[in-house]
Amino acid sequence: MNIDLNNLLLLAFKIFFVLGAIIYFIFSLVVVKQTTTMSKNVYDKFNSIIITFSYIHAIFAFFLIFVTYIVL
Amino acid sequence: MPRSTNLDNVAPDDDFNQVPTPETKPVVPTPSSPKPKKVKKVTKTLLSDQQTTSKPQKTFTTDIRQRVYDTLGHTRHPLSSFLVRPKVFTFGERDEEEEIILVLRQHWFSNVKWVLTAFVMALLPTLLSYVPVFEFLPTNYFLVAVLFWYLITFAFAFEKAITWYFNVYIITDERVIDIDFNNLLNKRFSEAKLDAIQDVTSQVTGVAQTMLNYGTIFIQTASEVPEIQFENAPNPQKIIKVLQQLRQEEEQEALEGRVR
Repeated sequence: MNIDLNNLLLLAFKIFFVLGAIIYFIFSLVVVKQTTTMSKNVYDKFNSIIITFSYIHAIFAFFLIFVTYIVL
Repeated sequence: MPRSTNLDNVAPDDDFNQVPTPETKPVVPTPSSPKPKKVKKVTKTLLSDQQTTSKPQKTFTTDIRQRVYDTLGHTRHPLSSFLVRPKVFTFGERDEEEEIILVLRQHWFSNVKWVLTAFVMALLPTLLSYVPVFEFLPTNYFLVAVLFWYLITFAFAFEKAITWYFNVYIITDERVIDIDFNNLLNKRFSEAKLDAIQDVTSQVTGVAQTMLNYGTIFIQTASEVPEIQFENAPNPQKIIKVLQQLRQEEEQEALEGRVR
């Protein structure tokens, strides 16, 4: 009974992490979209670097879904 | 009766146009002196006359602009919060002929708070490894939690950095603009024509602002936006002076009828 409770708790954690990773990935896509929109409105020397960072962030967030699913 | 060339001695009824004078003697066209050349010379003299008449007005406005440039000086770093006449910078609502005089971002010291917070957030997993708080979690769960934490830390710092980078105050030769992006999802664009500015006030409060010379500038306008605020703007005195000079230039342009 005790083992079942532990398993249930870990399963709840897994679902929580996977859902969190998916929501985080959606958030990272919003960041990419907004950064691109901002860059269209205000153009300066470092815009391309900021856009690149936002894409790298989105890629990491995407991989986090798989990492969460595989590792847990 | 010999005619006098002096016009003061000419009687009102005298038909002086009929009398050939040395100046009005018709020039016989020769191959060496073609007609178009003469026309060119006349237009050239006319142009130079126009230039001499419009020169004093033009010099006055360019003098004011030169004073603006002298007041501002130069920017050394492209990431500076006080960008003078930037070469690369532009914005979506800019007119083709509009010249960007100054681009302002919040003073670098206003970033210290979130930089320190992000630094502490980044160190937190390392600190927690010494305290047995999450020992009940299996290692793989702890690893994923740390990964999550680092991504959240990065997102926090990135959001703050781009908010600082894209929130700009722009002074052009025509208007004052405030572009604000709040929480990545909210954009606010406010502008006021230079000739609509009624009052400019600066407020420098606290030790940091006094020591590092930055503060908030309140621009009261007669346009739809009653007030534009430049928060944590560096060199407030310089900005006020430049705004005053640009308003003076705008008034001069209005007097000359050169309003865009």
